[in-house]
Amino acid sequence: MWLKILGSLLIVVAGTCIGFNVAARFAERPHQIRQVISCLSALKSQINYVAVPLPEALAQCTCGVAGPVADFFHTMSSLLLTNGWLTPQAAMEQALDESKQLVLNQPEREILAVFSANLGSMDREEQHKSLELIHEQLSRIQFEAEKLCEQNVKMYRYLGICSSLAVVIILV
Amino acid sequence: MQIKDNFADKLNKDDKCMTNTENILTQHIYPILPLHLSQLLKAIPPRLQAKVTEIRIRVNQPLLLVLGNHDIMLDVSGQASSQAQAYHCTIQDLLRTFQLICKNSVYAFEPELRQGYLTITGGHRVGLAGQATAFNGAVKTLTHISSLNIRLARAIPGCADPILPFIIDDVSHRIYNTLLISPPRCGKTTILRDLIRQLSTGKATLGIAGVQIGLVDERSEIAACENGIPSIDLGPRVDVLDACPKASGLLMLIRSMAPEVVATDELGRLEDVAAVREAIHAGVSVIATVHSRTISELRERPPVGELVQQKVFERYVILSNRLGPGTIEEIYDSCQEKVVYAGTNEVRVCG
Repeated sequence: MWLKILGSLLIVVAGTCIGFNVAARFAERPHQIRQVISCLSALKSQINYVAVPLPEALAQCTCGVAGPVADFFHTMSSLLLTNGWLTPQAAMEQALDESKQLVLNQPEREILAVFSANLGSMDREEQHKSLELIHEQLSRIQFEAEKLCEQNVKMYRYLGICSSLAVVIILV
Repeated sequence: MQIKDNFADKLNKDDKCMTNTENILTQHIYPILPLHLSQLLKAIPPRLQAKVTEIRIRVNQPLLLVLGNHDIMLDVSGQASSQAQAYHCTIQDLLRTFQLICKNSVYAFEPELRQGYLTITGGHRVGLAGQATAFNGAVKTLTHISSLNIRLARAIPGCADPILPFIIDDVSHRIYNTLLISPPRCGKTTILRDLIRQLSTGKATLGIAGVQIGLVDERSEIAACENGIPSIDLGPRVDVLDACPKASGLLMLIRSMAPEVVATDELGRLEDVAAVREAIHAGVSVIATVHSRTISELRERPPVGELVQQKVFERYVILSNRLGPGTIEEIYDSCQEKVVYAGTNEVRVCG
């Protein structure tokens, strides 16, 4: 009897955790996109106003931002600093691979890939245009991600609890 | 004994020169070259390495090292060789070098690129040639870079010694308005750098107590600033405006830092001429350099020639490459219209 109760409890806890984890991913995504947008805005200033080289600009654009997004920009900066022969595109790909905590989906990753292909090789005016475009595209994705977040967070939390309870009922 | 001493001095000087060049190559040049090119340069015999003044990289052409008055081509093992056996640089070599120089950040070097050069850490200038993109008659940027010329800058303390006594007024100890004249690669910048250092430090034997100097280093070559801080010793009394256009920089320094002397490199534009004239009339001495071969040639070169015609500068120092970079041909006093120093066979090796 005690074994059954313990097993059921474990199933409920595990199901709830899975549900909350998936929900957290949906909640974290718009937050991280927002952070990427604010880092890119700071990068725009670093490029347009101060005109510092990319490794420095990428390291400085994370002021006020912490967590996986800041780590991602710092990784990219140190990759460019230590391996000067790496292109910004290659450095960004490598940094995205290394940043396991990032919960960015394919659309925003593709936008970042296109952005990195033009990064550093143009003059200030063109970099400004490119950053404006990326900002616009990411803002649209952020809006969609927030909508998805509203719809899915509660649903996945309840789904986790309810499905685990259903499993317990079936097994018992 | 005297001969022995001189020989020891010479050996000492050669060793210092070798270490100096080796340091320059290791700290500043190898990091901006692809690995195989830097390994090729490392394999050069040290005696040759010490004489390198320029490294020239051209697409599909041999890797060239300029050693003072002549150049050599290098084979894959780093030895001097004929054109047929020399290592031929590829487009990838140039692209990689350019990428390393500008740190993947073309936007950060936009004004320099428009003028066809970049200055790297240590104050070494890298000249660029390729396809220019022009709008409304002005060069917007350079693309498809096909040639690079890496010019090694060396600080040679004491190389301005022969000039120093001639640019100071014996009575008032005022510094004369001085113009250093020479074609490229004759050591103008190196001598200007040493003049600034000696004037700022002071020299008791000449009665100079140390002068407040304002330096406008438009190309970041003289002071080799890193984050605005000079990386080359210029003495204790120098204020540097790094990467600032000469014309506005000269006037900014005069207003803000109250210098006794302002110095700048390579006058050429109309606004530079106006700024020099304004500085001189503001009671500040000017030391500057300009590209030309002789005073008469310079007189015909607009707009800088106007300064010569109006006798704005009191001393002209003519430099050449005749006996190696930094050969002082003559020092001319424009007030008395006579040569006050005529070069002998003295050689000054400058970078």
